[in-house]
Amino acid sequence: MVCDFFHPNVGGVENHIYLLSVNLLKRGHKVVIVTHSYPPSRVGIRWLVPGLKVYHVPLPVLVSGATLPNYLTFLPWIRPILLREHITIIHGHASLSSFAQEAILHSHLFGIRTVFTDHSLFALDDATGILTNKLLAAALNNVDAAICVSHTARENTVLRANLDPRTVYVIPNALIAEQFQPQAVPPSDTITIVVISRLAYRKGVDLLVASAPRVCAAFPNVRFLIGGDGPKMIDLLQMREKHMLQDRIELVGAVSHSDVRNLLIRGTIYLNTSLTEAFGIGLLEAACTGLYVVSTRVGGVPEVLPEDMISFAHPNEDDVVHALTKAIAIIKAGEHDPFRAHERVKSMYSWEEITKRTEVVYEDIMKRTPIDLWTRIHRTLRLGPFAGIIYGIILVVECLFFFVLEWAFPREDIHYVKEDWDMAKFSE
Amino acid sequence: MTNTNTAISRDEKDWQRVLWKRLPYPDNYVPPTHFLASLRKNANFTPYTYGPLVLASTSVCQHVANIFIFLSVFLRLKEHTSNPRFIVWLAILLFCVGYVTWEVLLYRQGGTWTRESRSRVMRSAILVFLALLSLAPVLKTLTEATSSDSIWALAFFLFTLHTLLADYTAPRLQESRERLTSVLSMNAAISAAVVLASRLDSDLSVFALVLFSVQMFALFPLLRRRLFSTPAMFRAFITGILSFASISLMSAHSSMAGWIVLSALLFITFVAPALLVWAQRYKNEIRGEWDVAVPEVG
Repeated sequence: MVCDFFHPNVGGVENHIYLLSVNLLKRGHKVVIVTHSYPPSRVGIRWLVPGLKVYHVPLPVLVSGATLPNYLTFLPWIRPILLREHITIIHGHASLSSFAQEAILHSHLFGIRTVFTDHSLFALDDATGILTNKLLAAALNNVDAAICVSHTARENTVLRANLDPRTVYVIPNALIAEQFQPQAVPPSDTITIVVISRLAYRKGVDLLVASAPRVCAAFPNVRFLIGGDGPKMIDLLQMREKHMLQDRIELVGAVSHSDVRNLLIRGTIYLNTSLTEAFGIGLLEAACTGLYVVSTRVGGVPEVLPEDMISFAHPNEDDVVHALTKAIAIIKAGEHDPFRAHERVKSMYSWEEITKRTEVVYEDIMKRTPIDLWTRIHRTLRLGPFAGIIYGIILVVECLFFFVLEWAFPREDIHYVKEDWDMAKFSE
Repeated sequence: MTNTNTAISRDEKDWQRVLWKRLPYPDNYVPPTHFLASLRKNANFTPYTYGPLVLASTSVCQHVANIFIFLSVFLRLKEHTSNPRFIVWLAILLFCVGYVTWEVLLYRQGGTWTRESRSRVMRSAILVFLALLSLAPVLKTLTEATSSDSIWALAFFLFTLHTLLADYTAPRLQESRERLTSVLSMNAAISAAVVLASRLDSDLSVFALVLFSVQMFALFPLLRRRLFSTPAMFRAFITGILSFASISLMSAHSSMAGWIVLSALLFITFVAPALLVWAQRYKNEIRGEWDVAVPEVG
C-alpha cells in the first residue's frame, strides 16, 4: 500500500487504506504501508493496531498533505523497503498522491506488479483536470490493474488515464456496519434532517442554503442539523439569521469521524447536496444508521443504494425541496424502518467482501505476463509529443539511476525482514 | 478502446449499474452498451465563424496599431523631427475629438449626461493636464540613471503586458466596475511611457509624450469599448485609419519597420482568426456524469 494520505491524517482515503490493509492482514497477507512522514512525531517506522507496519518516508510535503512529485528521489527510499519486505504487489491509492504514482513507476525495476485505486472524480476540462490527468495517464500507463469505487468513477478514470477498460475493476467502498447502529427513538412529531459535509461549493451548500428556509416554512415540525465546517459556513449563518431560524437550524461545526454516528442518530432524514461525488460514503453511513436518504443525482451516487432507500433530486432548488417533501411524507407515513435499512446495508457492504474482491484483482494481475521494458518505453512515448518525451527520459534515467543504486548499495547489504509478524501466533 | 469482451458471453440484460447488489459478473466486466453510455462530446459547443472573428480581432488590431503610433511619436520627439508643441496640440485635439465621439455615442445609446458630469470631466482633464505639466521634470529624471538597454527591454516588456492584459470584449450590460486586468494593462502602458520619457532631453517633450500616452492608453481603450455599439463598418473604418497611421508613421523611420507593422497587423486581423477556425477541428470536449453539476438556485 502506497499513498500520501494516511494516518495521522483523517479522511475517506486514509480510512479506506487502513481498513483494507487490516482485512488483508486478517486473511493472512502481509501488508506494509508507505507514506510520507509527519514530523516531528510520526517519523521512521510505526506499527498500528493490529500489527500494521507503516514506513514514513521523510520527503517534503507540498500542499494538503501531498508530496512534491519527486520521481527519482523517491527511488532510494522505496528500493530498500520493497526489497527487505519481499514485496510482490504495490497498491497505490488516490490520483493526487505522487507517492502512489512514483511507486507504480518504479515497480518494474523489481519485477513487482501494480494496482492503483482511484478514489475521486475529476473533470476533463478544468485546469486541475488537465494538469493532473497527464500525470495520471503517465503513471497508469504501465499499471497492471486499476480499481475504481463506482461505475461512474471507472468511466472517468478510463477516459482520464486512457486505460483499457478491462483492466479497470469496480469495487465499492464499504463500512463497518456495527459502528453505525441505529438507535430506537421514541416516536415524535419533529423530523430532523441531518447534513454532514464539508461546507464547500462542491458539496452543494448553495442548494442547502436555498432550500432549507423553504422546507422550514412549509413544515413547522422540521428541524435541520448541519455538521461540518468550511468556507460556506458564513452563507449558512447568514441564511439562518435572515430567516430567523436559529431555533430550527443547528450548526454543530466540524465533526470527527467517531462522532458522525452520534450526530446521525439524532435525525431521521439525511440530506446530501453534493455537486460531484465518486461514491458517497457519507450517505451510505447515514443509510446504515437507519436514516432515509435524500441526495442529488450526481456522479456515482445513484449506484450506491436501491431506489426504495433514497430519493433523488436534480441539482436545483425546487427539486431538492420537492424530494425533501416526498421524504418527509414517507417518514410521516412510517414507511421507513431504520432497523431493516441497517440490516440491508449490512448485507450489501462489508469489508470482508471488498477484501475478497480485491484479492481477485491481485490474483488476476499475478497471472498476467509482466510488461517488458521495451513495451514500457514504447507506451510512454505514445503519451504525447511533449509529455511522451519527458516521461521517456524519466524512465530511462530512472533505470540508469537504479543501476547506480544497485552498485552503491548492493542488495547483500540490506537488512532483510526474516520473520514476519504473525497475528495467529500472537493470539496464542 | 474497443468494447468487445469475448471472455464473457453471457447476456448483458441482467447487468445493472449498481453497487449495492453483487452481480454475476467479474468486477472488470465491461458492459458493451452501458459503458460510457452517458458520454457526450462537444455538447454545448458552438463553432466560431470567420467573419465575426475578424471583426472581433479589430480591437486587438487597433490596440497594437496604437502602440506603434505611440512609438513613432516617441522616436520623432527623441530625434527632434517633431515639435513637442505640435504633439501637445495634437493630444488636446485628439481629446476633444474623442470626447465629442463619446458624447455622441452616449446620446445614441440613450444615456443621461448632465451638465454637472460634463464639468467634472473638464475639471479632471485640466487637473491631469496641469499635474503632468508640473510633474514633467520629475518624470524626466525618474529613470534617467538607468541604462538605455534596460529601458528598451523594460518598455518592450510593459507594452507586451499592456497588449496581453487589455480588455478586448464588448461591454456587458450593467457592468459598473472595470476589470482588474484592464486597469493593470493601462498602468503597464503608462509606466512604459514614463520610462521611455526619461530618454527625451526637454521637459516639454516629456510632457508631450506622457500626455499623448494618456490619450492613447488610458482614454482610447474606454472609447474603444463604447465603439462596440456602432455599426461594424464604422469600427472597420477606425481600424483602417489607425492601421494606416501606424504603418505610414513607422515606415517613415525605416521601411523595414513599416513592413513589420503591416505584417503584424495583417496577421492579427486575418491570419489569426483563420488559425482559430482551423484549430477547432481538434476541439474535443468530453462531458459525463462525473462533471461537477451546476446548482440552480432561484
